[in-house]
Amino acid sequence: MMPTAHRRLLFLLLALFSAGSILIASAIGSVMLDWSQWLTAMTDSTSEFGELLWRLRLPRAAAAWTVGALLSLSGCLMQVLLRNPLADPYILGVSGGASFAALLGMTLGVAASILPALAWAGALVSILIVFSLSRGEGPWSGTRLLLTGVVTASGWAALISLLLTLGPDSSLRGMLFWLIGDLSYARLPYWALAILIAVFLACFGMARSLNVLAMGETTARLLGEPTRKLLWLIYLLASVLTATAVSVAGNIGFVGLIVPHLMRLLVGSDHRILLPAAAMFGGLFLVLSDTLARTVVAPRQLPVGVVTALLGVPLFLLLLNRARVKQ
Amino acid sequence: MSVLSCEQTDVRIAGIQVVNKLDLEIRQGQFWGLLGPNGIGKTTLLKCLAGLEQPAAGRILLESRAISELPRKLLARHIGMLQQHTVYVFDSSVLQTALTGRHPHLAYWEREGAEDFEKASTALKVVGLEGFENRSVTGLSGGEARRLAFATLLVQEPEIMLLDEPTNHLDLRHQVEIMGMIHARTQAGSHSAFAALHDINLAARYCSHVIMLFGDGAWCAGRKEDILDESSLEKLYNCPVERLESASGPRFHPAAG
Repeated sequence: MMPTAHRRLLFLLLALFSAGSILIASAIGSVMLDWSQWLTAMTDSTSEFGELLWRLRLPRAAAAWTVGALLSLSGCLMQVLLRNPLADPYILGVSGGASFAALLGMTLGVAASILPALAWAGALVSILIVFSLSRGEGPWSGTRLLLTGVVTASGWAALISLLLTLGPDSSLRGMLFWLIGDLSYARLPYWALAILIAVFLACFGMARSLNVLAMGETTARLLGEPTRKLLWLIYLLASVLTATAVSVAGNIGFVGLIVPHLMRLLVGSDHRILLPAAAMFGGLFLVLSDTLARTVVAPRQLPVGVVTALLGVPLFLLLLNRARVKQ
Repeated sequence: MSVLSCEQTDVRIAGIQVVNKLDLEIRQGQFWGLLGPNGIGKTTLLKCLAGLEQPAAGRILLESRAISELPRKLLARHIGMLQQHTVYVFDSSVLQTALTGRHPHLAYWEREGAEDFEKASTALKVVGLEGFENRSVTGLSGGEARRLAFATLLVQEPEIMLLDEPTNHLDLRHQVEIMGMIHARTQAGSHSAFAALHDINLAARYCSHVIMLFGDGAWCAGRKEDILDESSLEKLYNCPVERLESASGPRFHPAAG
């Protein structure tokens, strides 16, 4: 158990680092701002770099933070839902449906501004398919949900490959960036932030139930949880989080798998601490990854999904190894 | 006052009727031992009593209300169950796991208070896990995990304790201690217990009542003095049994030959 003082310090630090990461992201890029330029730009949005800061970098950094938090939260929920530490936000096919819809839109040449809505609609179709097929009568079956989700995801993957094969070459690059996950065109959508806050509050409110559920469905029922209802609620909440993240930024990988794990290693598995910690760390991790994605080969930009994987994998393996040594 | 009872309850496993029209009342002050060979439906019966499964026919009542109609949270304040196996997938500390026993007593948004921590520490002390508070549950031995599960049940404070082979994985001393604890609580009149057991002599020593499941649907239940004898045990396990007298009552052993 983490003492209250430690918990507060942890949250304070993560909040500070989150804010810091967004400020750093606003100063760094293909145009590097020094201290005085940055200060002028911050205080005066009509100044030389003010527009760059307020119209491009800050909205993008805020979008990155929101997406990182959405994915990490979704990952935490999926892991409890399936009681499997390998579960990630994409495992049940939500992102597959979103990707297929978005890529179809690109193939047909719809306006980029419509793509998020299209992706959300695709995700919703996938959520409903998996929900209705795996619901069935009888007790909760995590295995049935997992299999239905994984198979649905494979179905979407096949359709996506089909689109990639048949689609016009001109849209391939856009599609590829979307599939890897890219924040180049992302601006902070307030609806995504609203969904993040609403779902976070709902999950935080039932964090103790999540703790009990992590011990197994039967144990949770014996401790007074109506688990069937709770598990479907978690499925829907996690899916909404994933759908929102994917609609904004495409399939950014590894954040939703690695951040929940990292946080479990660092703060333990009490969801009252884990959920806020994972959300904030996921946010700042994605802001920093995106900043790297913009700067490493500037003025060219990498899709952020490449950077999250390149950063996340070694970081995760290192921490996992250290945790084992400690035990 | 909490009485858990079965009315004309049938239990089926894979279509085979293993318990036929069971009538049973588990009253405060009683410690029931549930005996029967492997695979006879002991766990299924326990699950029905805990409301985890529906019996094939008949009703399970808490006082006068069918448990299938009571909210789980209310049930969890009155009925607790020690499961046969406890598997921890996610890491957690021993103290945090014991504290989950308070879950049914707290509102959704509520945090555990000093009193809840006190109850958890006391329970850990009682099962001999003092000093284990910050240890990881995934690193516990089988017996330690078993005692932690029992401590969690104590923290839950149900008047009715259902126990599926509570002495699994426990060494002799801890078997005696845990059975003694259940015995003491039921003797005090505030609790009742219903435990599936494989050790006839633990039942003979600690239980007040015994129920035997014969597998063909037949059962017999009552005070242990009336039920436990060589002939019923031989029929139950299909194995010759001899009776020895000890200072604390009869003991039963497999007969030689």
